[in-house]
Amino acid sequence: MTLKETFLQPLFKGNPITVLVLGICSSLAVTVTLKGALVMALSVTVVCGLSNLVLSLLRKGIPNRVRIIVQLVVVAMLVILVDQILKSIEVTFPIDKQLSVYIGLIITNCIVMGRIEAFALGSKPLPSLVDGLANGFGYGMILLIVAFFRELFGSGTLFGLQVMPAGYITNNLVILPPFALILIGCIIWVHRSVDKELQEK
Amino acid sequence: MEYVSLFVKSIFVDNMIFAYFLGMCSYLAVSKTVKTANGLGLAVIFVLLCTLPLNYLLNKYVLQPGALSWLGPQFAEVDLSFLSFIIFIAVIAAFVQLVEMVVERFFPALYGSLGIFLPLIAVNCAILGGSLFMQQKDFVNIGESAVYALGSGVGWYLAIVMLAAIREKMAYSNVPKPLKGIGITFITVGLMGLAFMIFMGISL
Amino acid sequence: MNTNNNIYTVVYTAIIVVVVAGILAFVASKLGPAQQANAKAETLRQMMSAAGIKSTDEIYATRNADILQLYADNIQEAYTIGLDGEKNGELGITKDNIQLVDRFKPQDRAIKDGGNATLPVYVFKSGKIVIPVYGAGLWGPVWGYVAFEADRYTIAGVYFDHEGETPGLGAKIKDEPWFREKFAGKTVEWGDTPAFRLEKNAEASGAANAVDAITGATMTSKGLNEALNVWFAAYEKHMGNAAFFSMLENHAINAEED
Repeated sequence: MTLKETFLQPLFKGNPITVLVLGICSSLAVTVTLKGALVMALSVTVVCGLSNLVLSLLRKGIPNRVRIIVQLVVVAMLVILVDQILKSIEVTFPIDKQLSVYIGLIITNCIVMGRIEAFALGSKPLPSLVDGLANGFGYGMILLIVAFFRELFGSGTLFGLQVMPAGYITNNLVILPPFALILIGCIIWVHRSVDKELQEK
Repeated sequence: MEYVSLFVKSIFVDNMIFAYFLGMCSYLAVSKTVKTANGLGLAVIFVLLCTLPLNYLLNKYVLQPGALSWLGPQFAEVDLSFLSFIIFIAVIAAFVQLVEMVVERFFPALYGSLGIFLPLIAVNCAILGGSLFMQQKDFVNIGESAVYALGSGVGWYLAIVMLAAIREKMAYSNVPKPLKGIGITFITVGLMGLAFMIFMGISL
Repeated sequence: MNTNNNIYTVVYTAIIVVVVAGILAFVASKLGPAQQANAKAETLRQMMSAAGIKSTDEIYATRNADILQLYADNIQEAYTIGLDGEKNGELGITKDNIQLVDRFKPQDRAIKDGGNATLPVYVFKSGKIVIPVYGAGLWGPVWGYVAFEADRYTIAGVYFDHEGETPGLGAKIKDEPWFREKFAGKTVEWGDTPAFRLEKNAEASGAANAVDAITGATMTSKGLNEALNVWFAAYEKHMGNAAFFSMLENHAINAEED
């Protein structure tokens, strides 16, 4: 596979959320506002890209019996770094507080572990980095689409700026977490209507 | 009484799946039949029940700000809480691997039915999430953390068995083609989540 | 090389752990001060927003360094009190040495167990007095700041925050300005139980110490109501007497006629 294919695959045909159904947990809880979704998407992209890179570099030396633990330690380290950095920057501090445990849960985000197991352990560093970043983007794309609808109809704002006309009564159903599931269901519906190959028998 | 209300609350109100959406990956992937859902659910209860109190002790005596003061007054200022993610996940992963080895060696029959789910559990958000919520909720003693673990586990078990039962029936329904499989499952879980929200107003 | 023998596995794991722990300890110690500064600025923002130093939007648009300055410019004195209502410590108020009591959990426990509490009181130059409140909401802690007028029983403003209440329901205690605005002008009946009521249809009674709970957020409202009352009770000895005298002063003429 060329680097370009490696990059494009996770965005559409192999999208981690809508096709592989990985990393769902956080995509539901953090999509109430676009800001939260954006920070979460970037964090996952960074962690996914770097963990793929690091483990691809380490891949030849890892003892098989402690493979999972070594992976988790590296991922956990990257997540802690991201969390610490978000906390120490003035602009992202309140967003980190809003995301609370969900930043920590990137460790068990199946996308990260899934890509390490499926790709990084068997590939050279550069393609691994690209694959990690691309999966992060594919994940972030869905996150932002969901957050766009939830913030627009739930709060009448986008990135905190009022866009709905004054007097718009915010829709509370959209803000509630279960609605994110229904939205993702609809995204899958649209995606599979366009790309018929993905339909399940 | 405290324990009973904490137990009921963690099953229904703080349900890991419907309130926090934790452990969704394996929840969606392994809920095609009731039998496998049953196995995974039991494994989750077991691992939560063992790792959460362990992490509680680690948090209380090692990680919290000032937790090391039992070593002597000079350690009272040490704050290791930045290590909590890594310690928690290491405990969980090590425990899961240990259990896998023990079960495989001594209970081959159990390993056959439960063993395949164990590796899945190390990366199940519900397990790590349980430990992180435990840290946030600041339980008074280890008993409370164990009850919380049991309740969360049972809640997760209930959720996955329920969904599996619905999916078994849904296989015979006439669902629009692009929605078949995972699409309609998402929507079903969303509706189940809405139904579970009625428990939020219950005061215990 | 055989990557499966025991010695190799142990050594490899040990090296990874040491390297990772080293990196994390280094980063945590480097970034610690910046994180604490952010947390402190956030506390000051909530406090000053309750005290009405500027509008909440303006305060949240102000950068950290200016927030410290704004606080130093406006604060008169800050001190801590015990459960007996007596002063038991001073808090620094100069820009370079702003001291806060912002870890409420131990204080909350001290109040409930009757232990040694150090409860902060912040007196602003405008005469407004700010005290914190803290309790458990539906999912996690809820807390906030209540600012009193100089008479010590009229509420001038409030600011509430929470860790993870349901967006669109419980989170309204923070997100909805109209909820905060309802508290302004209400009074606290020191010494009464409850001193303040945040309940369903409470406003209909016409009482001056009552605010309606948020529809659809029963548990969060209940938790906040308890937070207010538990902490008000802890401050009663300190605030109550002074409030009683200022109330007498306000009604001096009426009192004499009786």
